[in-house]
Order: sequence, then structure tokens, then C-alpha cells
Amino acid sequence: MQASRARLFKEYKEVQREKTADPDIQLACDDSNIFKWTALIKGPSETPYEGGVFQLAFAVPEQYPLQPPQVRFLTKIFHPNVHFKTGEICLDILKNAWSPAWTLQSVCRAIIALMAHPEPDSPLNCDSGNLLRSGDIRGFQSMAKMYTRLAAMPKKG
Amino acid sequence: MQNKDGPRAGGDLEAATSNPTPDFDDWAKFGDDDIMQQQTAIRAEEAEKTPFVGDKEPLSSLAAEYQSGSPILLEKIKVLGEKYAAIRRTRGDGNCFFRSFMFSYLEHILESQDQAEVDRAKSNVEQCRKTLQSLGYADFTFEDFFALFLEQLESVLQGNGTSISQEELLLRSRDQSISDYVVMFFRFVTSGEIRKRSEFFEPFIMGLTNATVEQFCKSSVEPMGEESDHVHITALSDALGVPIRVVYLDRSSCDSAGVSVNHHDFIPAVGGLPNASVMVVVRICGCL
Repeated sequence: MQASRARLFKEYKEVQREKTADPDIQLACDDSNIFKWTALIKGPSETPYEGGVFQLAFAVPEQYPLQPPQVRFLTKIFHPNVHFKTGEICLDILKNAWSPAWTLQSVCRAIIALMAHPEPDSPLNCDSGNLLRSGDIRGFQSMAKMYTRLAAMPKKG
Repeated sequence: MQNKDGPRAGGDLEAATSNPTPDFDDWAKFGDDDIMQQQTAIRAEEAEKTPFVGDKEPLSSLAAEYQSGSPILLEKIKVLGEKYAAIRRTRGDGNCFFRSFMFSYLEHILESQDQAEVDRAKSNVEQCRKTLQSLGYADFTFEDFFALFLEQLESVLQGNGTSISQEELLLRSRDQSISDYVVMFFRFVTSGEIRKRSEFFEPFIMGLTNATVEQFCKSSVEPMGEESDHVHITALSDALGVPIRVVYLDRSSCDSAGVSVNHHDFIPAVGGLPNASVMVVVRICGCL
């Protein structure tokens, strides 16, 4: 518990210091609880998520960094490896490939990379995975783009 | 049957907090979470059977297990008995090699009180720190693990305020918060060494998996619970400059000249413990 707190505090300081280094990620710690974080990440360019801003929620376990943080999308997203209802993310480093060499910041980068490179063969969102697997890139992109516009962009008017 | 259903805290939690709209704290809904919970339960069950590092047992207790098994194994255990007085079992949780190395090495320092070896090890650890830094690891990701290992190394030397006894060393090796941190320290050191000398290790890694050196380190060295193979042992031995002997208790038999037990020595590429005071690890049936 003490060790995880100390580590999170170091990450907090690092985040403050490096705020401008990665303009695509804005990580913030809950004011009253260092085990709860949120992040705003920008949809990568040349993907259907471009132009969208997606919110992630982190719940950090007491055994962190020996155990991974639990991360999910709070913003609705149409992506084969993200559960459409819960926002759960299927990403190896958040499960068995986790190691303390990862940080909350680098987890955000890995999630951005996953947005740009979906893995349709292990889908949490089968509709999305099936579109990609059947080669309907256009169908997938228009669905993903629509949800980006509906959920991840500021409302117009 | 009731007992089986009793301790499923996850199920109860889910019922108590069931909420139609997904909520920030509603992690219990996750499918993967259930899997993780189950893994935790399996680990807890294993933990009851074997501590991270077991008590000293005579080799006869090992022989008793194979009484109705292969006669070659029994013969080999007898041969082992001529050289080694006792064994300690370690929990087969994928970290067993690193954990047994931790215990044997610290126990060796505790018994030998070899200040020179501690100094030598510390300078190697410093090298490992620089290696990780030059590979681009942020200090805060590994420094806690390094600090905890150095603390253990200091404490097995007597004569300073924080010195510990053999019993305390055993307790610490069984204390997850210390033991896992030291294991993770070794994983960082191993990964750093492999990546630093990636040209050397690449062909061995290609032989084991189909991964690049970087992928291998990320998926098979750094994560806890990933088992160790030749590559890991070579890298750790080289990085720390500590020779390691792995004794294979398998059913292979040599032709005519009676039964002998195969072993493989990992001798550090540079420097290292003089007189080859080897840390011994016995490998049984696939698990160290």
C-alpha cells in the first residue's frame, strides 16, 4: 500500500513535469484519491477516431505496480478491442503481460496505439471485429467515425 | 457443495452493487476481472501448499515422493545426496527460479559474510542501473526494486544496525511485499542485460519463441510469473557476475558408467565470484 502510493506520487510528479511532452495525453489524478486517475486522449490521426477526445478511467490496485491498473473507456467508442457497453479494454499489457516497467502514461500511449491498430481476432466488440475480419473496412470506418462524432466530439449548437 | 459456493465474494459483490448503468466503480462487471479473481484464488490455494521458499528438507523426503516412480530418479536422488545435504522447495508460480536464486544468494552472503562479494555485487547492480537508464527506462519505474534488493544485501551482512538472522531471511523471502520486489528486481536486471547484448541473445531467443529481443523481454522476462529458461539464467548470471548451477533431475540416463545427475553451469562472462561458489538450483519436472 505504502509502496504503491510512493510510486503513484512519483508518476504524478512526472506527469506534471512532462505535461507538454505528449500533447495527445492529459492524465489527471483524482483530488482526494491517488488510486483513481482519469485521462483524456486524442484519437490518432488517419483513423476514424481522429478529432475525437476520449476519456479513460483508471482504478489502481494496492499492489500496483506489481499488478496492472484497471483501465476502461468512459467515452463510447466503436473498436474491436473495447467493450461497447462497459468500455473494458482487451490489451495484453493490462492483463498477463503487465510489468512495473509500464506507467500510467505509457499505458495511455499503448491504448492510443491500439486505437490505430485494432486486433480484430480477439474482439470484445464482435460487430466491430466482424466488419474488419470480413474486409468491410469502409463499414467499420463509418461506424467508428459516427460514434466518434456522437460521443467524442463537442456537441455543435 | 455449500462450502464451494460460500467464499465467492465476487458474486456477492456483483449482486450487491448491481446497477443498470455502468458506473466508475463497477469493476465487478468485467469478464476479465472474474478471470483475474479466479487466478488469485488459484494462487491462494497454491500458497497454502508451498510457501514461496520452503523449510529445509532431507533429500529422503524427495525420494519418498518418487518411491513408486522411476528407478532412475531414485538413483539420481541418491547421487545428489552424496553432494547435497538438504533441499528447499519453492512455489511453482513462474517466479521459482528468481526466488530460489534470491534465497540461495542472500543465504550464501549471510553464511560467508563476504564483504568483498557484497561490494562487487553492488558495483554490478550499479552497472545494471546504468544499463536500464541507457535503454530508456525511467528511473522511477525500477528504482524501488533496486533499493529493496540493496537493502536485503546490506542486511545479511552482520555488524550493522539492520543485520538480520537466518530465520529473518526466511521470513522475508516468504513475505510477498519483499519477495516479489526482489524477484522483480532480478527481472529488470535480466531484461536489461538481454537488451544490452541483444546481438548475443537474439539467436537463442529466436530458438525459443518467434519474438524479437524486445518483444521477448516485454512478454517473457519483465512480467511476473513468466517462467525462466536458459536465456534468463545466462543473462542474470552475467549481469550480476554470479555463477549458477542448475541440476537436472530428469529421467535421462547415461549409457554404462552408472547413474550421474546432469547439471549445467552458468559462468558469468566477466569477473564473478572467485572459486566458483555456485548457487545451486535443482530443476524437477520442468519447474525450477
